[in-house]
Amino acid sequence: MNKSLLGVIDATTHHEGLEDLMTYRSLAAIPFAGRYRLIDFVLSNMVNSNIESVAIFPKFQYRSLMDHLGSGKDWDLNRKRDGLFFFPSSIIEGIRRGIGSFNHFAANIDYFYRSKQEYALIANCFTVCQMNFKPVLEKHIQSGCDITEIYHGGKSMQMYLVKISLLIELIHMREETGYTCMSDVVSDIDHPYRLCFYEWNGYSMMIDSIQSYFAASMELLQPEIWKKLFLKEAPIYTKVKDEPPTRYSKESSVRHSMIANGCQMEGTVENSIISRAVSIGRGSIVKNCIIMQKTQIGENCLLDSVIIDKDVRLESGTVITGSSSSPYVIQKGKRQGALMSS
Amino acid sequence: MGKKRCVAMLLAGGKGSRLNSLTKSLAKPAVPFGGKYRIIDFTLSNCTNSGIDTVGVLTQYQPLVLNSYIGIGSAWDLDRRNGGVTVLPPYSESSEVKWYTGTASAIYQNLTYLTQYEPEYVLILSGDHIYKMNYEQMLDYHIEKGADVTISVIEVPWEEASRFGIMNTNRDMEIVEFEEKPEDPKNNLASMGIYIFTWSLLKEYLKKDNLDPNSNHDFGKDIIPMLLREQKRLFAYPFKGYWKDVGTVKSLWEANMDLLDENCELNLFDYSWRIYSVNPNQPPQYISPGAEVIDSLINEGCTVEGEVTRSVLFQGVSVGSGSFIRETVVMPNTVIGQNVFIEKAIIPPNMRIPDGTVIQGSKESEDIILVSEEMLEEMIG
Repeated sequence: MNKSLLGVIDATTHHEGLEDLMTYRSLAAIPFAGRYRLIDFVLSNMVNSNIESVAIFPKFQYRSLMDHLGSGKDWDLNRKRDGLFFFPSSIIEGIRRGIGSFNHFAANIDYFYRSKQEYALIANCFTVCQMNFKPVLEKHIQSGCDITEIYHGGKSMQMYLVKISLLIELIHMREETGYTCMSDVVSDIDHPYRLCFYEWNGYSMMIDSIQSYFAASMELLQPEIWKKLFLKEAPIYTKVKDEPPTRYSKESSVRHSMIANGCQMEGTVENSIISRAVSIGRGSIVKNCIIMQKTQIGENCLLDSVIIDKDVRLESGTVITGSSSSPYVIQKGKRQGALMSS
Repeated sequence: MGKKRCVAMLLAGGKGSRLNSLTKSLAKPAVPFGGKYRIIDFTLSNCTNSGIDTVGVLTQYQPLVLNSYIGIGSAWDLDRRNGGVTVLPPYSESSEVKWYTGTASAIYQNLTYLTQYEPEYVLILSGDHIYKMNYEQMLDYHIEKGADVTISVIEVPWEEASRFGIMNTNRDMEIVEFEEKPEDPKNNLASMGIYIFTWSLLKEYLKKDNLDPNSNHDFGKDIIPMLLREQKRLFAYPFKGYWKDVGTVKSLWEANMDLLDENCELNLFDYSWRIYSVNPNQPPQYISPGAEVIDSLINEGCTVEGEVTRSVLFQGVSVGSGSFIRETVVMPNTVIGQNVFIEKAIIPPNMRIPDGTVIQGSKESEDIILVSEEMLEEMIG
């Protein structure tokens, strides 16, 4: 039973609203919660649900995603049998499709033919959740459904469970049926399949814009939220880095924040999410910010409601303020001087 | 097995009895250090950073934690097709079980391991020390001096010299005399327990030593004096930098506090010489609205709701609200309740400190308290 589910992660999605964070990476590889990438959540959920074979279908700037996943070792997916499979898209599709593009699957149909598993879970790469897929499969089998669509709060989570034989059929018949992806199938009122819904009541957040990214991040600072996401018995795995513990200086003052390893904190930090190896200089005040890996903030800076991507350097004295409805975003690798600021 | 130029033998069987309960169920090299590491991480990282990819780790005392920690060595990039890390426990021969009775006997009993790599040099290390060192530079020195043995030495304060094995050298750093814990030291160059041997000579003298019924089979006590008697070329390699033997509760605490010193020579943030360890993969640390963290090192998976000053918190530690933790080392997964006051202490892993506990030494005492279950029970009783 445990062995009968395989995972498919559609990492081809492109959200216009997240462009500032997607210049150098795909949506799946956007950093989240200080030390993770968006894909870590669904991938870890799959691993924690005993899924032993996972296929990832990426598109657009997938270098950083490949670098992140590597051989799948950090998710225990570097296996002799099954494990992690990476199927970059060779098809240039102009139109944006829904989750689970059959064209993309068709180009790698052998994966589905060769797999020993009976069912496939098709998921998107941009949902932050803590979810076990075993009960979904149980319910799917029990109720004799053809397709199970997972819902959360009355909205589709864009995750589907389907028998692999049916999936292969859908892929082959795509020209005749006109269904290009899973969401096409379920949204057609006349489809001939038995469609079931599985309502998920646990924690789940879809990231599809800067606003939802910012809101989901800030929400994590509430202990009742992060305690739902980070469970001891179902850890979220990620690529490990050998960062030392975070160092807080005598002058630092840090409150209500989530901080990853390898940071050097010398300033004041409140209501913020700080990624690995960030340094915040003396006298700087960082409030309501999301700061990504290896960004260096000089001395006496004032930042409020700013999202700063990786490897950014802020000169001393920089002042930048955004708002919670429209946080200011600084792109990866930028050098920002005090005089250039908004 | 392919030939290797230099193979390291890491002595990791130390009991560390002066660390009391910390080494009750694990060997000294496995003792947690610096908020994230175990002591052995420093030596293993030095090996991999020095380009030494073949390391035999000799274990004996309480090896379970250490063995599973080392695994196949992936954390230090020592999972290699040829070479890599090999854990070498004592084993039995047809006649008897041969425990490692001394440092030299431990190496002697693993001559077969060394022979398979046909090395030119053997680097002997101890897994008990905290330091960063480039062994490749020491090997270059060994070759340049045309030495048979090179022993790494460090200048220690004169008043402490009588606690160490002291090397008396001539101007060219050639060792003329070795004194183990001399009452009246002539020099302050202490042996760091790091040796480079030319392999052919090491093999010959280990065999010789093994036949001597009066020998303790120890490098410091037997092998080095024998080589000096036989006028071999022994050189001292002067090391400058941070080096600490964390053999006691107090020195372990001090070494942790050293990391908080801004000018500490042991820089964990130096990416050109990273200290690798098995990463626990826990969520980022959470600092609550009412918390205060000053002058401290905190690892991932921690939750801080109280006040932490000049302390080191390992992964998975939580500090409840209203609690004060000062100048304290809190080892992995220990949970500290609310309104606790702890000062100048080491708290071992996986402990539960009940609400309202107060742990502090007397004002005059310089001693560091090693918190134990018994101590907590007594307080409640």
